Amino acid sequence: MTIAIVLLALFGSAWLLAVIEGWITTGRLSPAAPLYSGLAHLGRESILPRSPDRVFFEAAPVLLLVVAVLGMAVLPLAPDLVIADLGTGGLFINAALAYVLVAVIMAGWGPDGAYAMIGGWRFLGQLIAYSMLIVMPITAVAMRAESLVNTAIVGSQESLWNIVYQPLGFVLFFIAAMALAFRAPFDLPTAEGELGGGVDAEYTGVRLAVLRLARLTLVVTLASATTVFYLGGWYGPLLPPWAWSLIKTLAVAVSMLLAGRYLPRIREADLMRWCWVLGIPLALVNIIIVGLLILVVP
Amino acid sequence: MSAAQQYLLLLGIALGVVCLVLSLYGLARTLGPTRQEQGKDVPASSGVLSRDPVWGRYHAHYYGYALLFLAFDMEMAFMYPWAVVYKEVGMVALLDMGVFLAILFLGLLYGWSQGAFRRQ
Repeated sequence: MTIAIVLLALFGSAWLLAVIEGWITTGRLSPAAPLYSGLAHLGRESILPRSPDRVFFEAAPVLLLVVAVLGMAVLPLAPDLVIADLGTGGLFINAALAYVLVAVIMAGWGPDGAYAMIGGWRFLGQLIAYSMLIVMPITAVAMRAESLVNTAIVGSQESLWNIVYQPLGFVLFFIAAMALAFRAPFDLPTAEGELGGGVDAEYTGVRLAVLRLARLTLVVTLASATTVFYLGGWYGPLLPPWAWSLIKTLAVAVSMLLAGRYLPRIREADLMRWCWVLGIPLALVNIIIVGLLILVVP
Repeated sequence: MSAAQQYLLLLGIALGVVCLVLSLYGLARTLGPTRQEQGKDVPASSGVLSRDPVWGRYHAHYYGYALLFLAFDMEMAFMYPWAVVYKEVGMVALLDMGVFLAILFLGLLYGWSQGAFRRQ
């Protein structure tokens, strides 16, 4: 039952997000558009490139979707609405999301196309940039919660949300999450303007439908992780806990889309430089500030 | 639920998602085949055929970062258990990890001074 509800919330949010994305980009609000688009993809031909690495080509979209769903499976929507409340939930999220890199490189390698391959290698560089900014802020969150269990992490924020307690960590995590989901302005592996779609370019028909669903689901999972780690998860007045989780998750996801809509794509060299010269020292400072706060303020 | 059961559940979900995707593929196949036509299966390359295969050696412009990344990634393996017991151990934990992080940070500064953050 819990599994059904969480998966419904995940895919429902992905659908809502697709509607909102269409609204932001075209100015028309059409709730049925993702459905039509999905059905149209089913009807189209799914072309296999000339000399693919078949295993990688087929596995990439599936792996991306599996990873996004597994990430969501350890995040709580309400105190008892979580599929698997692992003892190492905060670590499991990292482990699952590390496979996003694997999936994207497989999608780049598989079709044997130059643009796709460059997109895949670019994402490897992007991982080196964002990955530390995912794990270090989560460490600071775990320090406050004294636990890696995700429900305990939300529980530690009952009196004060982490976005107030460690705003620096929130900002870093939010930016890194956008880079991890390769949304604009960090859409280097897909970059329509320079790589003609990059890792997306060779996927057509039903495979493209799965790949797009996976990318949307990944955004929802990351928004949900941001909610759990920084926005106090299910806490909020009046409404039931699950409603607050969903509202916050959608708000974070939409703000990610909006940020991508109004910012230009960043260059890979710049991204890596900023992440290492500015991001990682700030993440270390964040850990030290949180450490002092925990010791000084009881 | 015990930890083993939780991981089994997660494995089941992963398999379930794979089955969902496979059933979508099956559904798409019933709607019609992919016609074999000449030139349709060439990867997108803006009109100029790329060398085939493209799985050659690329110059990685970021190996300086990659080496630093390795050091920081190893450090994270120690950070998670430390973070969980931090409040319990208190000041000693902060000093221990502070020294460790300071050394690592010096490494970052050294790498910076040696031009590791320049595109090679």
